[in-house]
Amino acid sequence: MLRDLIEVLISGITNGSVYAIMAAGMTLVYGVTRVFNFAYGSFFTLGGYFAWLFFGLKFNYLLVFVSIIPIMFLVGLSAETFIIRPLRARKDWEILSVMVTLGLALFLDNLYLVIFGPFVKSIPSLFEGYVKIQGFVISIHDIAIVTIAISIMVILMLFLSRSRQGLAMRAVAQDMTGAEIVGIPKDRVFAYTFALSAILVGAGSMLLAPKYFVSPAGGFDILVKSWVITVFGGVGSIRGSLFAAFILGIVEAIVGFTFGLTWTLIAWFVVLLFTLIVRPQGLFGTEA
Amino acid sequence: MLRVEKLDTFYEEFQVLRKVSISINEQELVVLFGPNGHGKSTLLKTICGLLTPVSGSIKYNDVEITKLTTKNIVEMGITYVAEERNLFPQLTVLENLKLGAYNVNARQKEEENLAYVFELFPKLKDRTKQSASTLSGGEARMLAMGRGLMSNAEFLAIDEPSLGLAPNLRIEVLNQISEINQRGVSILLVEQSSPKALDIADRIYLMEEGEIAFQGNKEEALNGNYFKEAFLGM
Amino acid sequence: MKMRKEFIILLIISFFLGIAPIFFHGNLYIMNILTICMIWAVVAASWDLIMGFAGIFSFGQVAFFVSGAYGSVILALNFGLSPWFGILAGGAIASVIGILVCIPCLRLKGAYIALATFAIHMVLEPLIKSKLGIALGTGGALGLLGIPSLKIGGYVFSNMEPVPSFYAAMGIFLVSLLIIYKIIFSGWGLAFIALRDSEVFAKSLGVNDYKYKLLVFGVSAFLTGSVGAFYAHYVQVLSSRMLSFDLFLTLMVMLVLGGIGRFPGAVIGALIATFFIEILRPLETYRGLVFGGTVVLLVIFMPQGIMGILFQDRGLGLVKRIGRFARQKINWASSILLIFLRG
Repeated sequence: MLRDLIEVLISGITNGSVYAIMAAGMTLVYGVTRVFNFAYGSFFTLGGYFAWLFFGLKFNYLLVFVSIIPIMFLVGLSAETFIIRPLRARKDWEILSVMVTLGLALFLDNLYLVIFGPFVKSIPSLFEGYVKIQGFVISIHDIAIVTIAISIMVILMLFLSRSRQGLAMRAVAQDMTGAEIVGIPKDRVFAYTFALSAILVGAGSMLLAPKYFVSPAGGFDILVKSWVITVFGGVGSIRGSLFAAFILGIVEAIVGFTFGLTWTLIAWFVVLLFTLIVRPQGLFGTEA
Repeated sequence: MLRVEKLDTFYEEFQVLRKVSISINEQELVVLFGPNGHGKSTLLKTICGLLTPVSGSIKYNDVEITKLTTKNIVEMGITYVAEERNLFPQLTVLENLKLGAYNVNARQKEEENLAYVFELFPKLKDRTKQSASTLSGGEARMLAMGRGLMSNAEFLAIDEPSLGLAPNLRIEVLNQISEINQRGVSILLVEQSSPKALDIADRIYLMEEGEIAFQGNKEEALNGNYFKEAFLGM
Repeated sequence: MKMRKEFIILLIISFFLGIAPIFFHGNLYIMNILTICMIWAVVAASWDLIMGFAGIFSFGQVAFFVSGAYGSVILALNFGLSPWFGILAGGAIASVIGILVCIPCLRLKGAYIALATFAIHMVLEPLIKSKLGIALGTGGALGLLGIPSLKIGGYVFSNMEPVPSFYAAMGIFLVSLLIIYKIIFSGWGLAFIALRDSEVFAKSLGVNDYKYKLLVFGVSAFLTGSVGAFYAHYVQVLSSRMLSFDLFLTLMVMLVLGGIGRFPGAVIGALIATFFIEILRPLETYRGLVFGGTVVLLVIFMPQGIMGILFQDRGLGLVKRIGRFARQKINWASSILLIFLRG
């Protein structure tokens, strides 16, 4: 019993670390650009498919990682520049951007279905093999995932707090007019934030794919989970996303283990509802 | 230095500025008076690129800046200090100031300007690590002004810096603005009503209902009945 | 009394729909399409009421549709409730769900509502398939078959005789659209539109604003749920596959094509989109691709929709231009005629 629980915890922590990256991307985009990217899950899947393609070309793990970054960067940048930016001038930009990103999401998901077919694709793990600690078996790959994910989070947080660009992003998120006043090029910041979120979600996809495969249908699950974590942690707070991701990753693992997989999605929804009713600003958020 | 001609700006369908024309010469401190809601802030925002006029022209050193983005306008040397301040609430005082120096021209002078800002506003120096949302009203105004100075601007458009402050603080703020002007920065200052503001001004404009109702210097203002009655209530 | 252009458009559409059976009554295929088309039109128009008129970013429309359908069918199969009442019951069930969802959402910002309602849509399918769902009578993953169809006295509506079902659907279509029309163009509705965009007034409206939005949400859910129930009794099968993104995407195309918030744009969008669904049917899996791409392109290049293109004052305003042109020609022609007659 305890053994099972520990394994469940490990699974939850592993997933949680990757969820943190993806939630960070979402909280950034929403906080900075005020646009909700419904196609976020589809970007996730895109990252997975590119990874699968590159592995098919016999790239090694590091090369795949390095190749995914500029591709996802371009994907995010183009999406913002060509699809979302034209809408900003209009008064009804908010509803239009929601419609267009959802349309994009469904377009991409269908595109994957058409190009890659409905069957899942698998990606090789970074490391094979297991480690025995105190009688518990932990896969080395899981350890690698947590390590890489946390490293990415640390780099991200350093970028946001120390670099000029990171500071500019936070400025735009906190007071858009103030950012304009100071001479920050808002449009460029919007585009780069989108690009950054695409990279983050692509990285997340690469980390999770070996365990959970790449499928055309997985996108919206990721979208909902990322958003619930974002809301639970507090919109605009990276720290919040970090905490929330681990907590909810563990909760998901426990619910899945106890009640079965079909109930996990419902559990996420319950958490969302609970947060919105009891504490809409989330753990570390500053506004609802 | 700055010449505004026949500016028309709208807010949705409502015309806020009607054929407004003003000018500020080098190193002048020009004060714009007028009742609330009559377009003073709109004028400043239009000059600084936050709003786009429907017609008219704005020239800075004979260069047309009417349709430029705020980023470009800031790089040309014009900075806006908003009435709402628009500080970054979760960033520290120091981070706010550093962001003030975001534009390319200001980056080299960052150290120098920072020292000047701390000299002018010693209270800010004590609070560098505090987040901007925890500042008092007066300190927030100082931060907004300081951030504006960090941009290395030659021309500052300052909107109601003394609003909501206690009378002695108000005088202090206006003195500081005068000092900044003495240092060589041209200033367009918007103020509601204040004999002190009248005092530090080189020239004055009075704006009513989106139009310039009066322009002149101190003597003309004090001698002319219109201004006195309409405004200072004398 | 000057009739609104929106009402005139509705009349024109209803007229052409009304006389359609005269020409097509033998063609089962076309009659079926027209019937389904009217059903989707009601759903689309109801959705537009929430999105375009009330300004609430709700993605739960399909969930309302399916809830109403399942509600009515479960009551019919397990309790023998007549489908006519089932339609009302379905509407009521959907409406209750709608209001329960709307209440916490009123205070939230756009994206939150969008995701919350979207999450409801996503959660509904596993719920229907779960043990709880089966216990309630949803038939789980297999769905429900042999759903009783509408009856009047001894006469049973059937798919084989398309005309009565067509007119039954049309009845619901007309009533629903009239209700929506009344909501939008009543005194209250117009005031709501005028003030909705002005933030200052919106804040001072406060509670009244909420009540009105709640009303609109409830009505929209009711109409959608009712028409969902009608659909179930018409096609006589029901499963959670209705929750797939096919229908979702189709509704989006209808809304964007017609023009969000421009009644009866959604109806026009529904007519055109249904037409295209049928033409594109051979494309199968590519259809989702085409529809998704269409939504993106429409939003970027034609965000005002067809209604916007036809009636915008600035920009094209096709109808106005045609009207002006026609009037000029008529004036010219009549002056010539007068000269001719006099001389």
